[in-house]
Amino acid sequence: MTRREGRGSGPASTRRAVLAIGVGLLLGGCGLTIPTDPDGTLDQVRSSGTLRVGASPRTGWVELDGERAPGGREPQLVEGFAEHLGADVEWTVAGEEHLVTMLEDGELDLAVGGFTDANLWVDKVGLTRPYAEVVVDGSTEAHVMMVPMGENALQSELERWLDENKNGGGS
Amino acid sequence: MSRTGVSGEGGQGVGRFGHAELPSRQAAALKKAKRLEVITLVFMASAIALVAATMGSSQAMKTAWIEDMLALVPPLAFLVAVRRARKRPTADHPYGFHRSTAIGHLTASVALLTVGLALMYDAGTGLVRAEHPPIGTTHLLGQTFWSGWLMIGAMVYTGVGPFILGRLKLPLAEELHDKVLYADADMQKADWMTAAGTIVGVLGIGIGLWWADSGAALLISASIVRDGWRNLRHASSALMDERARTYDDKHPHPLTRDVDAALQRLAWVGDSRSRVRDQGHVFHVEAFVQPVGDAPSLDQLEDAVEALRDLDWKVNDVVVMPVRDLPDTIPDPRAGQDESK
Repeated sequence: MTRREGRGSGPASTRRAVLAIGVGLLLGGCGLTIPTDPDGTLDQVRSSGTLRVGASPRTGWVELDGERAPGGREPQLVEGFAEHLGADVEWTVAGEEHLVTMLEDGELDLAVGGFTDANLWVDKVGLTRPYAEVVVDGSTEAHVMMVPMGENALQSELERWLDENKNGGGS
Repeated sequence: MSRTGVSGEGGQGVGRFGHAELPSRQAAALKKAKRLEVITLVFMASAIALVAATMGSSQAMKTAWIEDMLALVPPLAFLVAVRRARKRPTADHPYGFHRSTAIGHLTASVALLTVGLALMYDAGTGLVRAEHPPIGTTHLLGQTFWSGWLMIGAMVYTGVGPFILGRLKLPLAEELHDKVLYADADMQKADWMTAAGTIVGVLGIGIGLWWADSGAALLISASIVRDGWRNLRHASSALMDERARTYDDKHPHPLTRDVDAALQRLAWVGDSRSRVRDQGHVFHVEAFVQPVGDAPSLDQLEDAVEALRDLDWKVNDVVVMPVRDLPDTIPDPRAGQDESK
């Protein structure tokens, strides 16, 4: 049984394939912005004029008051971000797990609920870079918002906006 | 008649493996290889620190990080192996310590295979589960920018080192007939290819192709697994006293043929049959010779040993045994000579 090793051919063909992908990306990348959402969430929000936001209550961060839209620190920030995108907020109030499922299914663009970067949904949804730190019972809580996993343009836009507005909009 | 060539002067002990004194070319190559491996260890340590600082929650970067740690194994294996291999034979180790190289080769190949399989598993599950890798922004020195650029920067750094070091090591691996060094060069190739793949993948994610990173990683992992598997197979089969092969394990070593050719050039030798195994750097030769006429004299046998040892510095531990008939327990080395496994 003779089998040729072809040490040269293996990596070379891989290299060619990687190069082909690279060139493809460059060609495909013309006229595109980096980062871009795989599912186009940010574009969708801008064109439809609606930001679909899920809210789960947490004292101080997300306050619910009957039929009125959610209030508190995070809803205020969200309203500001929606305005920045030229969109109106469409609120969905639900429990944390339900909000995560909706984000996964593409039914929400954003979720708030006083979430911290230590939450357990990290492999199901995208978490923003922490935009606020609070000391609770001696330990530091780093607060984040949830976005659909891998919608990097939306996430980057939100993080950028929070960097500039977290103090003005929230306090 | 046997000789293992003890050089009378004792030497400085810098350029030798056991009793085999290295010619100056090989001694220089060994010195350079050791220096390169130390540089590799320092560089990889810096790459590990850099990737740890930039990886965030990116799974691809995490895999690259684990890979960088495993890339420390072959250089360490090399440094330990050559240190052991230098030792002269002792009563407990009459063949010397050359096999440390084979153990180093086995260790390095397992590390390489592990890297390939880890990358393949990671990329494969990422694709199957259709994971969309999140890459957000980084806030640094008052600037907010996409973290992908930072990752690409880190990957350029971690890729450049192995790209250069691997290329420098290959010729040394051939010069020294050192398979640990060869497996290490394969590991460095795995490293820079993974870095290049991650750059392509992160750019792909940047333009909205969630599968780009896993796709590139999967392609590259196939090549790493193949290299790891080939090294593992040859390392194990060398430990099972396979006929000596070239430093890259592509072919049976030409010396395995040259030994019989050299013996048969001697006037008193009718036929010969030999076994040549790779002990690590150096070969162990057992040659059975059938004299044309009467039994050869001690001088003739000593000349035969000398003729073999003059073939190459690697041929050092040589036994030449005169026999009436060639032993039929040793298969003809020409059978399957071209089989490159």
